[in-house]
Amino acid sequence: MQVNGEPHPYTPSLTLHQLLQQLAVAPDRVAIAVNDDFYAGGQAPDCELAAEDVVEIVRVIGGG
Amino acid sequence: MNQIPDPLTIGGTTFTSRLMLGTGKYHDFGLMQAALEASGTQIVTVAIRRVELKAPGHDGLLDALNLDQFQLLPNTAGCRTAEEAVRVAKLARAATGVSWLKLEVIPDPKFLLPDPIGTLRAAEILVGEGFTVLPYVQADAVLARLLEAAGCATVMPLASPIGTGKGLRSPELIRTVLDGAGVPVVVDAGLGVPSDAAQALELGAAAVLVNTAIAEADDPVAMAQAFALGVQAGRLAYLAGRMTSRDSASPSSPVSGVVRLPDPELVDG
Repeated sequence: MQVNGEPHPYTPSLTLHQLLQQLAVAPDRVAIAVNDDFYAGGQAPDCELAAEDVVEIVRVIGGG
Repeated sequence: MNQIPDPLTIGGTTFTSRLMLGTGKYHDFGLMQAALEASGTQIVTVAIRRVELKAPGHDGLLDALNLDQFQLLPNTAGCRTAEEAVRVAKLARAATGVSWLKLEVIPDPKFLLPDPIGTLRAAEILVGEGFTVLPYVQADAVLARLLEAAGCATVMPLASPIGTGKGLRSPELIRTVLDGAGVPVVVDAGLGVPSDAAQALELGAAAVLVNTAIAEADDPVAMAQAFALGVQAGRLAYLAGRMTSRDSASPSSPVSGVVRLPDPELVDG
């Protein structure tokens, strides 16, 4: 699977919440896309991920 | 005179300030907050970026902004194609809970000039998805009309390339965008000093968006206040209606009754 543009080792039955824990990402104040599904970090479901999933985890920063 | 006499309405929301501010390039959040406060702004842009994985906690920009005070305007800065911009827009909406979007589709890293075709395509998709779209464009009147017809809430023509501080390089083109525009025209990018903002408002722009000129000033807070005054001056001048310019001089004092030296013929007689 791919997380933020980098390959990520897939383990069977890995869930989204487990992935966030692995990556030490606090879900508050981030947004997450799993393929074409978009979630506020705190509302992301604990869905099971698939080997071909593309995950994006973003945050808000300063910009013009 | 501190009161702007007329409100600005964008996407059904009314504002009293006509100065939008970016939140990039500030030395720290404290300075940014003070500059936002001094500017009187009500609309602030933010950017969306991937989190650094396995990095310890991040300073939260959203925690540093009073979200009751500001309309957040997430941007799609860094997106090179319509498809990237649409994806970032959806992430921005998920991250902020707001549907406003400063749409940027910029394939060119040197001059950061926007792709008009990609911008229009992304705008059509995002308006259909319920976003309030404020597209960043070159000062192109035909494109502006197409974006307006697509349902964009504003058009945002650039004064000069992002971060250059060169001011309004093509006021005549801005004028063609303003002529007959049915949505607010917000001059965005390249403004360097408050007189640039005043000039944009004098031409009839509804608002301006400023980031670098304030964030990179020696004193960003004072410069934020100066931009607020420039915007107010420009808007008031626009509403007041400027004089017609002339090619030759026109005296401001009456031409009759001017004192002359004595006429020697009359004195001698």
